Amino acid sequence: MDFLAGSQVISRDTDFVPRDKTIMRVLRPIIAIGICLSLALGASAQALDSSDSSEYLIKAGFIYNFAKLVGWPQAAFAQPDSPIVIGILGTDPFGGIIDRILADKQIDARHFVIKRLKWGMDLKGCDILFIGSSEAAHLEEVLHALKGQPILTIGETPGFARRGCIINLIVEDNKVRFEVNLDAAKQADLNISSRLLALARIIPQAAADAR
Amino acid sequence: MSPIRKNEISWMACAGRMLLAGMLAVCPMANASAAGPQSVPDVTSMSLEDLMNMQVTSVSKRSQKVADAAAAVFVITQEDIRRSGATSIPDALRMVPGLEVAQIDQNKWAIGSRGFNGRFDNKLLVLIDGRSVYTPLFSGVYWNVQDVVLEDVDRIEVIRGPGATLWGANAVDGVINIITKSAKATQGGLVSAGAGSQEATAETVRYGSKVKDNTYYRVYGKYYDWYPSIDTNGTTASDGWHALRGGFRLDSNATTRDSITVQGDIYHDNFGETLTVPSLTSPTLWSTYPNNGYESGGDLLGRWNHSFSRSSTSLQMYYDRTNISDPTVFGDHESVYDIDFQHDIHLGESQELVWGLGYRSIQDSNGSSFTVALQPAHSSLNQYSAFVQDEVNLLDNRMHVTVGSKFEHNPFTGFEFEPNVRVLGTLTNKQSVWAAVSRAVRTPALTEEGLQLNVGIVPPGTAPFNSPLPLVESIFGSPQFGSEDLLAYEVGYRVQATNSFSLDVAAFYNNYTNLRSAEPGAPILVGSPVPSYVVLPFVASNKMSGGTYGIEPFAEWKILPRWKLMGSYSFLRMNIHKNADSLDPTPDLPNGASPRHQYYFRSSLDLPKHFEQDLMLRYVDKLPGLNIPSYYSLDLHVGWKPISQIQLSFGAQNLLNSQHLEFIPEFINTLPTQVRRTYFGSIAWTF
Repeated sequence: MDFLAGSQVISRDTDFVPRDKTIMRVLRPIIAIGICLSLALGASAQALDSSDSSEYLIKAGFIYNFAKLVGWPQAAFAQPDSPIVIGILGTDPFGGIIDRILADKQIDARHFVIKRLKWGMDLKGCDILFIGSSEAAHLEEVLHALKGQPILTIGETPGFARRGCIINLIVEDNKVRFEVNLDAAKQADLNISSRLLALARIIPQAAADAR
Repeated sequence: MSPIRKNEISWMACAGRMLLAGMLAVCPMANASAAGPQSVPDVTSMSLEDLMNMQVTSVSKRSQKVADAAAAVFVITQEDIRRSGATSIPDALRMVPGLEVAQIDQNKWAIGSRGFNGRFDNKLLVLIDGRSVYTPLFSGVYWNVQDVVLEDVDRIEVIRGPGATLWGANAVDGVINIITKSAKATQGGLVSAGAGSQEATAETVRYGSKVKDNTYYRVYGKYYDWYPSIDTNGTTASDGWHALRGGFRLDSNATTRDSITVQGDIYHDNFGETLTVPSLTSPTLWSTYPNNGYESGGDLLGRWNHSFSRSSTSLQMYYDRTNISDPTVFGDHESVYDIDFQHDIHLGESQELVWGLGYRSIQDSNGSSFTVALQPAHSSLNQYSAFVQDEVNLLDNRMHVTVGSKFEHNPFTGFEFEPNVRVLGTLTNKQSVWAAVSRAVRTPALTEEGLQLNVGIVPPGTAPFNSPLPLVESIFGSPQFGSEDLLAYEVGYRVQATNSFSLDVAAFYNNYTNLRSAEPGAPILVGSPVPSYVVLPFVASNKMSGGTYGIEPFAEWKILPRWKLMGSYSFLRMNIHKNADSLDPTPDLPNGASPRHQYYFRSSLDLPKHFEQDLMLRYVDKLPGLNIPSYYSLDLHVGWKPISQIQLSFGAQNLLNSQHLEFIPEFINTLPTQVRRTYFGSIAWTF
């Protein structure tokens, strides 16, 4: 059947010439310049970097406050001036902020020591462990490894408190809020001040078999 | 005929934006470093109360801004999908306000946003993990080949209204971003199996593991089989189908500043339908028969994100192959190659500049029949695009102004630009308003340039023509067919009235020009040496225009921590008309094919013993243009997690009526079938 005949009859635009080559010729240098420009801008933006009220500056402030408002059992520190060790597990979102903020601070006689940690390393030397959202997939394993240790675990990922992290920072309406899992705090033998609890959202521990 | 028909169909491209939004959410790149001595507040001297009052002006949480976007955004979460009992993406999309989802038969859907719904709706852009699944053939979506493991979906972001500045041509009335979880978030095994009254069987197997530190992968396979439904007479139809698909995803955080994703899928499905087409050889001049075809294809995507401390770049490339074939009507093979680059720069604390470049190449080859012919049989199309958008925060971050435009070039209509201006104002902590004006274009599809589709036939001697030969009515594409234009005005309001109640309202007025019409052409005698029939052409032209307006409130009320109610209402009024110079004789207007009123109520209840129960009552107004009556649907879902590794699920849909018709397809006359009351149960085991 010659059914295609119909479409041949309709006259077609014949002055339709390929333009792609010319376009590519014009675009190629633009793309090249664009990429160079982006690298340059990226580099200069890096140099200019002075994030003031950034999310992680605020979160560092929270961590400092938590350190003040949480009571560790006596056995947690060898000496009255033993440092408070803050571990940052997984991808570090703070950059250098937290180091700078806490560099010359102390609580009672304790200075701060900041450690960057990876899953698999020994986490038990910490007093505070900030668990990055990169650890979400094996949070349970991390928490299991810390079981019974007086370590204040702090997350910043939805669901972490429910999953057993003691404190979880969340951003809502561009402001930082935090959740506290009291069962987890109790298991870690940490005493959380009522001032802190008054501002927290209390999250129940998900029953062990709920996940 | 033109020498090379390099058109390039419209749409899309530039999935870069989405990936940035998506990827930044998934792998928060280290950011925000360096506190310069000058402007840094001493956070250690501040109380918790003070800190809680500080505004976060983060650079690294771009995805969270979606909630604060100056656009009508709705997000379906993984939990929403699980709790709805949806077993397909179209099912899940039914909970989005302002979206129209209608099932045509078991393997075909009409999904649209803010009007113009149809099987070949061409004004909605759909992306899966940054890959556009818009087909250049008709600028729409083959919904039955777009699928993912629903358990692995992180979220589905739906933007109603134009997204053209970021996503490019064809993001006219909406953008759907389906975003799957990172491989790291899907570690371990998942085996799920289900069976039901319509979806006979559905099985999924997924396994995720770790290659080394910071490098994770998952692989999956999925199979399902649908029974045929029934037609309007209650007779079993031929629209059963089954599909098999598999794929993988690999994510690596090579350094704290770089992340790489590679993912791919491959699929094959067989579908059935009942087709009615003009036929010169049949004594009635019409032929109705069951038509069985297949679709197959695959895709491979790579993406590299790099973050500097105050900027980030993203480079994405993908290949996508789609084959669709049936023995009697049409076969098409298309390959899409796409590359996108995007760069986000934070200029100071109050300004964010995003720009990007995109290139897309499409190879299409097709085989024709008497019913459908597409010229040329092989085509190669190229499209180039660039965009720039600047977001400025003013008045102490209480006002965000976004200005930007897309510039793109396609071989059909040349350069197109799609600018927009968006303003978001924060009234109080808990209230914001936004407004936007944007332009979008819908660039021509391959079929609109070179199609011949025989849709009707008139026997010889029928009045008023009294032709001695049969008259075949044909829809023709035309190289003169240009882009459809939209100028959209939108406003919105969001309030968190109390801790437990929130409301989100969006309203719009869309002004369309140059919409597609079908203008009659001179009759063509066909056949040699003696003509055997006459073709009456209706040629694609841009002679319709008009306005649409609507309002879409959505409210959420957490009555109790364990009980949430949600409600949505969508009002749409379409006033599309043919221009004065249009001779289009068809009564075919898009006005009557989208519901004027839609609403739903949803209740999500957490019960003791790890039971969860969801109920949704949905109303969809009549479609007067298609003679489809309004309907209610009551859907129930119960989930139970007896132990942590086992999830049981039972869903029942359409409890109020035993069946109803939802849509009549346009252009290709396939038999619409009824959506029946369905039951589906499944068990999923994770390890």
